[in-house]
Amino acid sequence: MENAAIFGWALLWILFWGALGGVVTPRIYARKDLEISQASFGGAVIGAALGPLSLFPLWVATPKITNRLIGIGIALVVGLFVAAFALADPDNLCVVNGSFVVSQLTNGIVIGIIYGLMALGLTLIFSILGVVSFAHGEFYMIGGMVTYFITARWLPGVSPFIAILGSCIVTFAIGYVFERLFLRPMGSGKIERPTEYAILVTFGLAFFLQYFTQALTSAVPVKAQRFFPFPRTEIPADSGALLSMTPGNITILDAISVPNPRFTAAVLALIMLAALLWFLFRTWVGKALRAVSQDRQAAAVTGINPDTMNTLAFSLGAMLAGLSGASLVQVFSWLPQVGIPAAARSFVIVVLGGMGSLPGAFLGGLIVGLVEAAGTGCIPDATRAASYMPAYGMVILTLVLLLKPTGLFGREL
Amino acid sequence: MNPNLVYRVSGSIAVILLLAIPLASSEMGGLGPLVLSSYFMHLAITGFFYAILASSWSLLAGYAGQFSFGHMAFMAIGGYATGLIGKFIRFTTAPSELCTDIPLPGSWWLVILNIRRVGTIDESCLDMAKTQTLPAGTLIVFPPVWASIAMGLVFGAIFGLLVGWLVLRLRSTYLALFTIGFSEILRAAISAEIPVTEGQSGLELVPLFPAGLLGFSSTSKIPPYYAMLLLFILAMALMSWLASSRFGLFIRAIREDEEAAAALGVNIVRFKVLVFVITSTIAAAAGALQAHYIGIITPNTLIILQMSLVIAMAVIGGLENIYAASVGAIVITFVLELLRTSVSIGPIEIDMTLWRLVFFGILLMLTLRFQRNGLLFPILERISRGGVAKETVSIRTETDEEFADLEDPDTDGPDAESSREQPERTADTENAET
Repeated sequence: MENAAIFGWALLWILFWGALGGVVTPRIYARKDLEISQASFGGAVIGAALGPLSLFPLWVATPKITNRLIGIGIALVVGLFVAAFALADPDNLCVVNGSFVVSQLTNGIVIGIIYGLMALGLTLIFSILGVVSFAHGEFYMIGGMVTYFITARWLPGVSPFIAILGSCIVTFAIGYVFERLFLRPMGSGKIERPTEYAILVTFGLAFFLQYFTQALTSAVPVKAQRFFPFPRTEIPADSGALLSMTPGNITILDAISVPNPRFTAAVLALIMLAALLWFLFRTWVGKALRAVSQDRQAAAVTGINPDTMNTLAFSLGAMLAGLSGASLVQVFSWLPQVGIPAAARSFVIVVLGGMGSLPGAFLGGLIVGLVEAAGTGCIPDATRAASYMPAYGMVILTLVLLLKPTGLFGREL
Repeated sequence: MNPNLVYRVSGSIAVILLLAIPLASSEMGGLGPLVLSSYFMHLAITGFFYAILASSWSLLAGYAGQFSFGHMAFMAIGGYATGLIGKFIRFTTAPSELCTDIPLPGSWWLVILNIRRVGTIDESCLDMAKTQTLPAGTLIVFPPVWASIAMGLVFGAIFGLLVGWLVLRLRSTYLALFTIGFSEILRAAISAEIPVTEGQSGLELVPLFPAGLLGFSSTSKIPPYYAMLLLFILAMALMSWLASSRFGLFIRAIREDEEAAAALGVNIVRFKVLVFVITSTIAAAAGALQAHYIGIITPNTLIILQMSLVIAMAVIGGLENIYAASVGAIVITFVLELLRTSVSIGPIEIDMTLWRLVFFGILLMLTLRFQRNGLLFPILERISRGGVAKETVSIRTETDEEFADLEDPDTDGPDAESSREQPERTADTENAET
């Protein structure tokens, strides 16, 4: 960074006026007897965006803080942040090279879709059981492991679809057995303080699954082959200016470059997402699931067995984590420990999107994917940028917990 | 027998036994036929270390109902704080002029060393100062170990306050979610900042007693044994005092029902943050002491495995009782070591280093499901009652009957009986209190 000072001052400016806006605005609104539910968050965003220029008018006029106002504020903060970064480090690849930026953003969206799929499983479990599964990362890890072992060790040359199906069956079965043995008793009131019990017992499951896998497979990193290598094509045929594919990469418009494994993983994730939405909104069982998540008693009155739906939701959630692991095992190298950062990332996504909200989980996945792509691409020191990968999500989590703990679409825990 | 008396007597016997153990160590020549190797002493120190962590975690999780998965992160904050102070701070009798010098009263200078770049033979500024600016005969002194350990505690408390203030305003699930990420980030940061923390290769620390103590050398196990035991006893004394005071009552009320506790006037956020800061500080103290005893601290100390072990110890011992949790930790430390050897069944050799953890994972889940009070707590409870089991249970059934009577006025027989009993029991409790 050439002018790190500019960036530092800009950050300090954002933090100072954001904090001031967040603390003072609700008091002013409360004194004028106005609604204050959004005042702290709105004040912080508006303060961070334009500082005193917007804060004083806000305090004098005290308009109703609408979502549009907050949206404009967020856009301004992001703009200020980016501008400060560009001024501070004019030679950075993120500032100079437009096609790099577009590629990086596309990659962020592509990986974000898969994060979203995994977080969807977590939020599905939460919306129906009211339980945060701390073993979610381990289901993700097992999904990838099973896929790797089927494609590379047990049945080499078999279609990747079979392997993915296998990982679905395994994760679904583990989720089913665990729910029946350990979570079902919570519903019948046999267990004191079910929330605490659920936190600990799912954590125990994570502990068990991680070391069980490690004992069976050893701790050597593995990586699956590309599932579906691209055919070599160029459109138009001579230059490839519109679209050019090699087995390992796809380049669109000579600018956007996405590696094959990520691309196929995202396509797989989108197919699964469509299937999940069809299941949840078009089938009887899916509608029953959503009914239980809205009102347990009412659903039970209409003849839905909530216990069955609990089991189904937990197994489905585990399967979704397994699926995202299965589609990502060709992207990242795989170890029994890969589940922990993935789980932490899912927690960030569900808190950001709002606990129990399905669209929130998907949108949150995209946001976290984009932020991680921007972080790894733009931070000057590349090795350091990569090793701080989990930190980007945590920055988001900290901001959400500070400003809007209910998340984008959420109800509180 | 009076349960309090039994607790005191059995507690004192345990403390005396623990104080006497080093007499039987090989360094002291052993007690007759009983000779404990220095390996055993090492295990005992590790056992105390885990006992401090497990019991402080049980105060946080079992008493206050706040589930933190970042307890090992606070332990590592304590260890790294004292290690980094030992690495970067020196006291001299003359200004070095090349490093950052801060004058202290009494013609001493606090010197902060520079961060050396990796891969260069860049000398530390103090080494250069020794040959260039420092006058001959200048004393260069390491910061005293106890002071840097105390700073480790301060850092543990500060981080505990920040995390607690951020997260504990919300429901307890958020704490669990946040602390997993917090410890992951801390691990990533320690591994990445190699010039400061030495990364994966680990930060070396001076021994607990660099000059030895009372004739024991700096590598002897006996002074660290007593140091860790002292910290263990102090922590247990502090925590049992807290648990039996109004503070303990408040945090248990928060665990049972936050809304009800708040409605009765407990400032729930303040008490949650307070218990979080206290337990984090205790964890940091244990981490700082253990880091000096081992002599090296690596980021692997805060992986989730370590956290899972502490949780398994607390749960298997008895989550809702700090004594049971600490006994559980000591027992499991020894059991884990015993299970380390490989077993061969026929031609298949099983590497137990991993399978024992699998076994503990299953045991943790089964304990939670079927024996919520832990496996050791019922035994301890039985001892403390002098063999009289089921005392509280019988009282509870009586109260249930009373409630049943209130709801159902037709039954007259038990009604008369309970109304006759009630004044007796209140008299009893009054006697017990005075």
